[in-house]
Amino acid sequence: MLRKLLLLLIPALLCTTLLAEAVYQQPDDFLGETFSANVPEPAVIWLSGERKQFVRQLLGHRYSTLRVRYWRQKQRSAWVLEEVGKDLPITIGLVINNGLLEQIKVLVFRESRGWEIRHPFFTDQFQSARLDEDNTLDRDIDGISGATLSVRAMKNMATLALFLDAELRKQDVASSP
Amino acid sequence: MSRHHRRKQRLKLSSFYVWHRYMGVSAAVFVLIVAVTGLFLNHTEDFQLDSNHIKSDWLLDWYGIRAPDSMQTFPAGDRHLTLMGEHLYLDRKEIEGNYRQLVGAVHSNDTFIVAISHNILLLTPRAEIIEQLQEKDGVPASLKQIGIDANGAVIVRTGHGYYQPDTDFIHWKRRNEDSIRVRWATPSLLEPRLKNALQRHYRGEVLPVERVVLDLHSGRFFGRLGPWLFDAAAVLLVLLSLSGSWIWLKRRR
Repeated sequence: MLRKLLLLLIPALLCTTLLAEAVYQQPDDFLGETFSANVPEPAVIWLSGERKQFVRQLLGHRYSTLRVRYWRQKQRSAWVLEEVGKDLPITIGLVINNGLLEQIKVLVFRESRGWEIRHPFFTDQFQSARLDEDNTLDRDIDGISGATLSVRAMKNMATLALFLDAELRKQDVASSP
Repeated sequence: MSRHHRRKQRLKLSSFYVWHRYMGVSAAVFVLIVAVTGLFLNHTEDFQLDSNHIKSDWLLDWYGIRAPDSMQTFPAGDRHLTLMGEHLYLDRKEIEGNYRQLVGAVHSNDTFIVAISHNILLLTPRAEIIEQLQEKDGVPASLKQIGIDANGAVIVRTGHGYYQPDTDFIHWKRRNEDSIRVRWATPSLLEPRLKNALQRHYRGEVLPVERVVLDLHSGRFFGRLGPWLFDAAAVLLVLLSLSGSWIWLKRRR
């Protein structure tokens, strides 16, 4: 009896594990789509000094790495960021165009719940969002019941990408003649 | 009812009362354990029972938790990178994440470069992750060795040739095999004191406090007989409630 039960349970558990990670789009494909297959060379921005402090304040902990990769073409930058919803990281692709959020997309979702954040009815709320003077999103984002932590992760990554893009534009101003 | 009969009844009640008291005392220990652990389990998140781990040696021994004997260590600069199970350490400090297959580690420009789990991990001396580079970031596939060449630059040997990154680890270029003189990272033995410290740390990350409280609550903590013992205590509690009610009723009459 126990053996039969285990035979039933093990495949069920395996299926649950396999289903746990949903890849909606590979990061490379996201970049290819964003830049029409003409993906610029990546560059890195360090999360040190004031940036590190801002990130810690925003997320409530430090970001998983000390430097972040980005791809930039003129005033458009693309970011692939990761943040833990409840237990596992959610991979989010973001495109910022001239300081406004052009696109936000869940690329890989690993949590067991909260996947509803990938749907356009939710992500459309971020369209053309920007940062206020106090570095917060310029609008309220309606949550999804049962996906509170995933929603928070998405909002935080939108804020982080906009903040880092603003930092890049600050560097441009500082280095212009 | 005769006097003799009443006396007999009183004696019977008194003997029953003695049994009731003995049952009460015997069940008291179990009631305390179940009640206290139940309170903790109702507030697991408040007490952070799921995120705190048992460090006590005797408890870890009781659960039969042992650190793996085999570990891979690579000296890098004057520090050591060690992989034990899926935990990676820079000296005694654990690096966030789970890892497998430590290929090697080197130290260059105040950064530790670790070839692990088919990735290149860049670490600060404070064991913070600078970046974890994967194949999609340009890291060559099937890493076999990592080392420092005669110019002090990082180089890796893969199943299909030698590659070197630029200073930011963004681009990797293939190197000609003929002109290569490399000091490859080689594994070493860990000094016993550090090995003990890491094994203690590893064991201290395995058993959540919640598991122990749950096992105390169900009796499993006390071994195979534990749940039976707690079942007996539950039966005792049922009897206690019945005998208590019976005594109360008899005394009222």
